[in-house]
Amino acid sequence: MWFTVQTTSLKHKPIWTAKEKAVDDERELSPEETLRLIEQQGSAAHEQFVPDPVPHYLAWGVAWLIGFGAIFLRQGLSGTPYVAIPEGVAMALLFGLMALAMLVSALTMWQLRSPVRGASQQRGMMYGFAWSFAFFAMWAIAVRVGAHLPPAELGLLWGGLSMLVVAILYMAGGAIWLARPMFVFGAVLAVLDAVGVAAGPGWHALLMSVGAGGGSVLAGLLLRRRVRR
Amino acid sequence: MTPELDPVIHAQARLRVVVTLNALGEGDSITFPGLKDLLGMTAGNLSVHLGKLEEAGYVEIVKTHRGRTPVTYVALTRRGRLAFEEYTAALRTLLDTTSAPPSGA
Repeated sequence: MWFTVQTTSLKHKPIWTAKEKAVDDERELSPEETLRLIEQQGSAAHEQFVPDPVPHYLAWGVAWLIGFGAIFLRQGLSGTPYVAIPEGVAMALLFGLMALAMLVSALTMWQLRSPVRGASQQRGMMYGFAWSFAFFAMWAIAVRVGAHLPPAELGLLWGGLSMLVVAILYMAGGAIWLARPMFVFGAVLAVLDAVGVAAGPGWHALLMSVGAGGGSVLAGLLLRRRVRR
Repeated sequence: MTPELDPVIHAQARLRVVVTLNALGEGDSITFPGLKDLLGMTAGNLSVHLGKLEEAGYVEIVKTHRGRTPVTYVALTRRGRLAFEEYTAALRTLLDTTSAPPSGA
């Protein structure tokens, strides 16, 4: 009798809490609760592993909107400038902002990948190098061929070639990550680029500024809303 | 009531581990501290659950060095991915067949 009282009074509390803890940790969830857990944990993990595309779309969109916007203003649709911006300034603006955007893309991809290694890391790295090598080759072509062109056509060569590189890499990215919107965006860029180059420098700059730049900013804003929701 | 649900995955803590690892791309692995922070588990607790998952062949644990510091990488195996797919499929059929109130705790 004394023995029983002793054990229960001593052990009652610890056993109860230990049991409670075990129950809480390994508690049998209902199928609904389990499915909800899978969905919540899955999307939380996905958010961590997949880089946020919003800064990328916004940075590139702003670069094209302002860069090609400046070129459009100095070209004009009929060849007479609306605003007297020196050619060098407009070009430096466009390519400087694009270099900044490339930095933003690289940084957002790097940062989130850190605890993860493997196939996706290699894929991202090769894709990143593809941008560098493609732009390098484009630069070599534009410098060589551009030496024989009148100033207006020279700007068109640089703008047309750079957007071709971007369009191809967006389509490739869509194929690599099975991201249909990315592929579609690249395809639209290619078509706009072709139409713009055919129509002339002013039209090309307008299409790129509004279509590519505006489209990319819009995509960024839409994606941000979706992420928040 | 739930005889077809894989008991290795069915424990709540291990389920969270498997779901998180499943969100990684195929061929990807994550560092042990990275996974620990994501799940908000203690290192000891996570180790125990990873041990059980490794025993079942669902998880692969690779120990290497980055420079001189040892790093442990964790990934879901093909078998683990398959087991998780089957688990969710079984869960869904269970939900479809028993539209009656949950039979949980």
